[in-house]
Amino acid sequence: MQTTASPSLPAAQQTASVRAPGPARPYGRYLYLAINIAILVFLLAPIAIVVVFALNPTPFIQFPPVGVSLRWFEKFFASRDFMHALGFSLEVAVLTTLSATALGASAALALARGNLPGARLIVATMLSPLMLPAILTGLALFQTYVLLDVGRPTWGLVAGHTLVTLPYVVRTTLAVLHNFDLRLEEAAQNLGASPVRTFFEVTLPLIKPGVLAGAIFAFIVSFDQFPVSLFLVSPGNETLPVTLFNYLKFDLDGTIGAASVVSIVLAFVVVIGLDRTVGLRSYVKL
Amino acid sequence: MSASIEIAGVSKVYDGGVRAVDAVAMDVRQGEFFSLLGPSGCGKTTTLRMIAGFETPSSGAIRVDGADITHVPAHKRDMGMVFQNYALFPHRTVAENVAFGLRMRGLDKATIAAKVKAALAMVELSGLEDRRPAQLSGGQQQRVALARAIVIAPRVLLCDEPLGALDKKLRQQMQFELKQLQKKLGLTLVFVTHDQEEALAMSDRIAVMNGGRVEQVGTPTEIYNQPTTRFVADFIGDTNIFRGERVGPNLDVGKGLILALPPSEMQGTGVLSVALRPEKIRLIPRAESAAAGSSAHGIVENTNFLGGAVLYRVELAGGHRVLVQQPNAGTSRLFVPGNGVTLEWTPADLVVLKD
Repeated sequence: MQTTASPSLPAAQQTASVRAPGPARPYGRYLYLAINIAILVFLLAPIAIVVVFALNPTPFIQFPPVGVSLRWFEKFFASRDFMHALGFSLEVAVLTTLSATALGASAALALARGNLPGARLIVATMLSPLMLPAILTGLALFQTYVLLDVGRPTWGLVAGHTLVTLPYVVRTTLAVLHNFDLRLEEAAQNLGASPVRTFFEVTLPLIKPGVLAGAIFAFIVSFDQFPVSLFLVSPGNETLPVTLFNYLKFDLDGTIGAASVVSIVLAFVVVIGLDRTVGLRSYVKL
Repeated sequence: MSASIEIAGVSKVYDGGVRAVDAVAMDVRQGEFFSLLGPSGCGKTTTLRMIAGFETPSSGAIRVDGADITHVPAHKRDMGMVFQNYALFPHRTVAENVAFGLRMRGLDKATIAAKVKAALAMVELSGLEDRRPAQLSGGQQQRVALARAIVIAPRVLLCDEPLGALDKKLRQQMQFELKQLQKKLGLTLVFVTHDQEEALAMSDRIAVMNGGRVEQVGTPTEIYNQPTTRFVADFIGDTNIFRGERVGPNLDVGKGLILALPPSEMQGTGVLSVALRPEKIRLIPRAESAAAGSSAHGIVENTNFLGGAVLYRVELAGGHRVLVQQPNAGTSRLFVPGNGVTLEWTPADLVVLKD
């Protein structure tokens, strides 16, 4: 290493020795770009294949595609079974989002602020559905409902979805509460806000990004939920993933692809809709 | 209207038995700039938080204008507070921050707008109404916090190290402005700080706290010139503290040094501590003889040029190390390390301390 170049060294030579490690940088950048592109391809390729599959007119999966058509979308939207399943899925996802958000955010507040004994154990218990295979949760709920003889009501399905989406809301809300400056609440009270007023004026607006992020997760996970739903839906009243699965057992045409594309678009609509209505972008970079 | 505060034997004991505040008693007069001064962990912030209502005393009472408010919740105390990190609401604009307290009081929109405008003008922030706190500098945030606290015309203004995060120049300017504002509005102001210069410069009176207790309450001059305890003498400014045995009208502090006690302290026996401020000592070139009890010979060990003054550390013949501060009277009078010098002082400048 020529780090201690003597002052008598000609200036040109000095700059040359400084510049020597320079070219390594562009290579590093190319590598960085290449890895990022590879990750993007890995993440997006299945979606691209689904889209191709949905638009390809042949009744079998075929590559390369032979053309572009909307026949599978027509078939999907014309099917009463699919439309009913889509409506039911949306209904369950909305109800799940509401209950998981209300319960999860309240639980996170109590856990972060309440000085509860065994708070860590409670958090671990609440997050445990994330660790358990969802199929076990579904089976356990199924057996419980059978034992209780409650049948397979919609609220039972929503309860099951709430159970598996609650961890997301608890997690994201706890994260914002962890960084919450309690002096902001003290400042509000000092200025004359009652504890209830303080909650709605200061606490809630400031933890909103975490709660919203959790709500979005809850919606998407519920809308996309298969293992839990499989055990809890009643025949004739099935969610879209279950209907797709049943369809898949007998037919393998582009309708599946069309249904998947509709699901993806719906998920986008929810995220962008939340962004527009409650200003998600001011809190998190999308 | 500004109010007086009475803190009557207040203690705060946390779970686990830590006594954060121990039997603190003091009165803050109406319209007074009152500082709680002490090192971190001395209980000054806990005391302030009990006045604000964020903490409940374990025992004792807090009264405002004679009315017991010990168990009144914070939001009903009608006090303004400026927090250490300002605690501005990040999701609200400057104007909304300042309007918050007025809104909680249910004032109508026109009144709120007028008061917010006046408050922002008072802290010279007109034109920044629509900014968010994150878009302001530290000094501007500080002013917003101040405007937010005074716009509600609080009975008492509480400040928790409000200037701690500002750089020195801005800090001095804000000290001046806060003091002006407090005088103009006749505010009763309780100011928590660990910065003794700040407390001395701004306060009408200071309570020096240590280990949860009040060491001394007094005006800045009393606190500086007549500290009553060893802690106060040591904490406020630089000082020389000597401890020794009374021998007649003198104090024998060992290593051959005898100090003549001030006239008022000549009676008595036993062990005593005294303090002597560095600027109360005169430093002259080594004299032939030294008057016993009020002078000593030594060698300059260290010369610390402070600009307006020079701080010397002098090792006395017996081994005592003494700080001496002299006004900067030109380079001709500057002593350098190794110079032989004679120290002279007036026995009346010795301050007797309680341990």
